[in-house]
Amino acid sequence: MRRGPEIERLYDEHSQSLYAFLLNFTRDESDTRDLLQEIFVKIARDPDLLTGVRDERAFLIRLAHNTAIDTMRRRGTRDKTRENFAAETISPFAPATDLDEQTFRDALADVLAELPPEQRAVVHFKLWEGLTFEEIAATLDIPLNTAASRYRYGLDKLRECLRPLYEEMKKAE
Amino acid sequence: MMNEEMEQFEQRLSRQPLKGIPAEWRGEILSAAWEGRRVAVPEIGDANMASLPKLRDWLLAILWPHPRAWAGLAVVWILILTVDFSVRDTSQTVAGKSSPPSPQVITELRQQQRLLAELIGSRETHDADRTKPFVPQPRSEQRFEILTT
Repeated sequence: MRRGPEIERLYDEHSQSLYAFLLNFTRDESDTRDLLQEIFVKIARDPDLLTGVRDERAFLIRLAHNTAIDTMRRRGTRDKTRENFAAETISPFAPATDLDEQTFRDALADVLAELPPEQRAVVHFKLWEGLTFEEIAATLDIPLNTAASRYRYGLDKLRECLRPLYEEMKKAE
Repeated sequence: MMNEEMEQFEQRLSRQPLKGIPAEWRGEILSAAWEGRRVAVPEIGDANMASLPKLRDWLLAILWPHPRAWAGLAVVWILILTVDFSVRDTSQTVAGKSSPPSPQVITELRQQQRLLAELIGSRETHDADRTKPFVPQPRSEQRFEILTT
């Protein structure tokens, strides 16, 4: 019966990270919940899944990414439309008290939603998980250069779209 | 200069706080995970029970391509069995419902039996007086008849 507290520990330590990634990736709160549940059901069903894993966070993020990709593939055109609709409304960022800051966050959420999912995933891992390109490449099972180039393209797009707002905020500071 | 600006931009982005996971999800997700585990791997240390997930996967693999067809077939079988059982039950109840004869009927039957017995008995005596018509019989039977008389 060592497994119960083990799953609870995994949840307490990593669920926030997984939630943030899945919400940014799917842009749908209920999908995020379903995926998160699916991940923990997988872990509960196969308690040896994490045996011998050195970096639990990286492993779980990879599991979350693969589960999200599988779910997206299983869906048809109807759900893709729904996903696009959700992308306009759901923000992965916490609400801000400052109006300018809120505007910036909303704009950032919108531009992030426009990025292709593979670029969005790399940008998320680099900026909000603090992973290195090596770790991202290992997590997503892609070459190092691919990880770096996806990040560069994604960041360029963000910078291009957010430049006016960003410059304005810098001046105000 | 360009790189410095880019780094500042990256730092700005990474400082944006992400939404927190709803607290109520913890209980729901963990209980769902435990429910899933209970279905997949029973806690009883029975070797036969451990093969249940495989059996389930096998059944799913068979039934999954046409779940509606299988469900329809199951419904048809249930209907057949229900009809069969209901018919069997009614025949049993009909047999069970036939009440025993009343005492009057029984006495009447007994009287009739007695009368019949008397009639048969009187007839037998008449028959004994009467000479038997000749009926050709096998010799063995004739000999047995002579002996008995």
